[in-house]
Amino acid sequence: MAQNLAELCAILIENHLGDLSAQIFTTLAEHGRLTAPTLAAHAKIPLRRAYTGLATLLEEQLVLHHAAEEDAPTFYSVSWRNSYNLVRHANVVALVTERHGEAAGQVVENILQLGHARVGDLADAYNLTWGSKRDSGVETGANHVPEAVMVNGVAKSHATSNQHVTSASELHTILRTLLGAGILVKVGTRTLMPVSDLQEQLQEAVIVDQFPDRKVTGPKKAKEFAAAVNELKRKWQHDDAFSEISDASSRGAIKRPGEHFAPKKRAKLNGNLPNGHAINVDCEPSVSKLSHDLIVRVDFTRCTLGLRSQRLQKLAKRLLGSATGAVYGALLRALEGKVRTVRDESAETLKEEDPEKTLPSSNLNQIAEILDPTVDLSSSIRGVGTSKYLLNGTSKKGKKNRVIDNEFADIGIKQELSDSEDDEPTTNGFSSYRSHAKRVKMIEAHLLLLEEHPKAFCKRARPGSTSTEWGVDFETLTDALMQAELDTTIVAKYGSTHLRVVRLLRERGKLEEKQVASFAMMRVKDVRAVLTELQFHGLAEAQELPKDNQRQPSRTTYLWYFDPQRAESLILQQTYKAMVRTLQRIPVERENYRTVIEKAERTDIKGQEQEKLESNERHLLREWREIEERLLTQVARMDEVVALLRDCSGRNVSLAT
Amino acid sequence: MATLPKLSDDCDALYTQLLTAASNSEEGLKKVFFQSDVQHLAEEAAKSVADLLRLIQELQNHALLRASRLQGAICWSTRPRAAAEQIRGLNTNERTLYEYVEDAHTKGIWMKDLKKRSNIEEGKVQKAMAKLEGARLVKVIRNVRAPAQKTYMLFHLVPSDDVTGGSFFDAGDLDESLIDEVANLIVFHVRMASWDEQKMRRPRTQRSPIRLDIEEDVVAGAENNAKKRKRTADIEDSAPPPSRKHRSHRHEEHDTIMAQLAWQAYSHEYPTATGIHNFVTTTDAIRASKAQQLTVAEIQGVIDILVWDDKLEKVGNGYRTVRGVSFQPPGFVDDDDEDEEGRMEGNGLTQAPCGKCPVFDLCGEGGPVSAGNCEYFTEWLRHGR
Repeated sequence: MAQNLAELCAILIENHLGDLSAQIFTTLAEHGRLTAPTLAAHAKIPLRRAYTGLATLLEEQLVLHHAAEEDAPTFYSVSWRNSYNLVRHANVVALVTERHGEAAGQVVENILQLGHARVGDLADAYNLTWGSKRDSGVETGANHVPEAVMVNGVAKSHATSNQHVTSASELHTILRTLLGAGILVKVGTRTLMPVSDLQEQLQEAVIVDQFPDRKVTGPKKAKEFAAAVNELKRKWQHDDAFSEISDASSRGAIKRPGEHFAPKKRAKLNGNLPNGHAINVDCEPSVSKLSHDLIVRVDFTRCTLGLRSQRLQKLAKRLLGSATGAVYGALLRALEGKVRTVRDESAETLKEEDPEKTLPSSNLNQIAEILDPTVDLSSSIRGVGTSKYLLNGTSKKGKKNRVIDNEFADIGIKQELSDSEDDEPTTNGFSSYRSHAKRVKMIEAHLLLLEEHPKAFCKRARPGSTSTEWGVDFETLTDALMQAELDTTIVAKYGSTHLRVVRLLRERGKLEEKQVASFAMMRVKDVRAVLTELQFHGLAEAQELPKDNQRQPSRTTYLWYFDPQRAESLILQQTYKAMVRTLQRIPVERENYRTVIEKAERTDIKGQEQEKLESNERHLLREWREIEERLLTQVARMDEVVALLRDCSGRNVSLAT
Repeated sequence: MATLPKLSDDCDALYTQLLTAASNSEEGLKKVFFQSDVQHLAEEAAKSVADLLRLIQELQNHALLRASRLQGAICWSTRPRAAAEQIRGLNTNERTLYEYVEDAHTKGIWMKDLKKRSNIEEGKVQKAMAKLEGARLVKVIRNVRAPAQKTYMLFHLVPSDDVTGGSFFDAGDLDESLIDEVANLIVFHVRMASWDEQKMRRPRTQRSPIRLDIEEDVVAGAENNAKKRKRTADIEDSAPPPSRKHRSHRHEEHDTIMAQLAWQAYSHEYPTATGIHNFVTTTDAIRASKAQQLTVAEIQGVIDILVWDDKLEKVGNGYRTVRGVSFQPPGFVDDDDEDEEGRMEGNGLTQAPCGKCPVFDLCGEGGPVSAGNCEYFTEWLRHGR
């Protein structure tokens, strides 16, 4: 594993959990999977301390563990992804705050700090009691793993809890929304198992169940086997997922399935599972409240999706304006609910099916619901709205409608939709209905703009038709986004001429120096300098093509090309390193302000800095906070680069454990 | 060389016919005649092949016809009388060399190749070529592909684009300022048809100097600022980035900003390469003789560059400018590179000191450079850059 990443994770863990954990992590990172005694030996720490450290790491899911059998030794290995995710906390909290409000952001921040949390404990942390039901919570059979360490977590969360959440029902509403949005997920037994072990267990289960002769090779068998494994994997994932029925406190008659949880899932859940891994949480009947014993964690994959949407929206906004960007943001959010992970299904299933059909789609009305009603859609497209300042230019209404009627006739908006409903008294009245219909049309106009753009930000779910369903080809777009990120980096680091050459090579393939010069309309001499510099930084490469057997450089053609994958991983590594350096700078800067920081942290001063500190000390303190904030923000911004280059496409496997 | 007998009438007639046929054809003097063509033109003068051969031989002797091979068949092309006159005055060596140069046509031929092919001593070749040049039969041109080599070509020919490098080369040298001007002109033209530009007046208070400072400061939450901005008036949001450039046109209480409104999708015709070519060649900005030379392919080349430079984007069959791109008025000195790059504001990596660090590879704990003793960090934290 890359040294930069290991260094980065070690620093993050040290900041987060202290020296001991960092030491254990570094040892595990260096040696691969180890048992506790070997680990203690390698790290040169007493076994007892090793266990304590491991417990802390496990609590935060920074370490994975697996024992093949009941009494076999447990092996520990690091979870690169989870360790790295420590640095993403700031971005995740920002994302949640933006979408679900401050209180939700606070809750997520707390859960992030704890690694994972029991709903009941969270409620405790906020000092919220839920009647007498709290005590009667039955211990879960399935979620035993983190139970022991939760005590520590609670203690910590007391310190951080803030009175943003004031009532139990508010907390539950927030948690429910977050679970519904997929930002929080249930922690199941398999969460802390290394992926390879999980895969092995899956395969074993399938073999035992369906291939009694243990013969899974051969073209036909192998295919069948892979399909069966995939199916079981999905089933397990499904079982581990939060479900309204099994995880709500109610097991009785009263169910209130939210819009995301169709009741039909129950049938699947009760299907006979090969290993009988049904996880049902026993708990008190209580309507619409979550079980206190439900353990939740933040789902970073889902957050990556959110971050990706943000980036796409930002790009659309830059290229097509803010109103169109907002419409696009709404479409993306509508789609997010329908996409499970960055790469929805395994690659094989995608290939088999028609790509057009698998495109998740959303219709105009859903988008209209999500879109912020204050966004002025009419002003930024020429000819859609006649006035550019207005939202409610009633005097011009007739004219505007006519314009729209003419222009939208050919894209199939049903005009009679608004006409036929005109006479019916709706709750909001005639005019509001008209304005809604108008708004939907404008949204479509914006979506058409997005579709027309060379990047093809979105497309109709069924091409060529006039359906109101719109989808987004995430795979292609993510690639475009990554490309744009690379380009941004190159232009900022080396300049626009370099970018021109890189793009040229990317588009035209392998080229000779002279061809590059003629396409880029530059002097060969200048092109050579640019290419050499790019090669020096690993961004361009030359393939030798000797004209004879002697391989003399003078008789050799050099074909230059650009390898995006290599460039991506290069910049990724550089970003890791830059993050490490930025984090390392914090203690250095801290040292400069040590006296004042120490003074401010004295128990008799803490909390009353205003009165007890002198003005120049306050000034220094503020300076220090600004510096720290600045460095941390920069790390968070670099994390955005990492998220995009590594996580968004779902193809990068450098973090697989 | 022995003086040739006067050209026979038959030959003269045939030559005149060939010359007329050649000048009437599109290729002009490049027109080649195969045996059947010549036979057809000669008609009664050459009833048999032997007669024809005699006629052709005579014309060739008078250097009025030139033999060459095309797809295995022998063929002939005509030479003007004046040139033929001069060629007849040449000696064998000179004549051989002349023929090589003639064969190379508009591509030209290197001195080195002449020596190699003709197998004549170097000194003699040089002398012969000097004589040919003096007689204004050949000329020296500069080949962009091999500027150091002497390249010869027939005096009356215009070098092909391969040799000159196309319209964007001036005497074998890349005319960068012409490219820049053409590019700028294209941006100017395409921009007119890309977005509906509207002047908007916005109360100045919305963009107070203080806000600007925050925006330009790379500190901390650049993101936060973006969020804050989202909540403000839409008009401001729909303002494209270059609005900053227009800040100079401030009124007393309002800023005039240019807003670029999109045309409705699929309803607007964006200029195509041919259209752009039309504009560039008919505008007065470029000298007429130069404008005539410019081909659609060359303009397409400039368009490609503009696309790579993020100035234009392809929509359907046409092109439009990327939102926020502005053209530079003539005489504009591109000194504020920073501002131009500001549009591609970089990312978390490149804004951090490490992103542009020249000693990044050396940096490490215990190394000559480390996070602790880094000068760039100090600079960045103190001054924001």
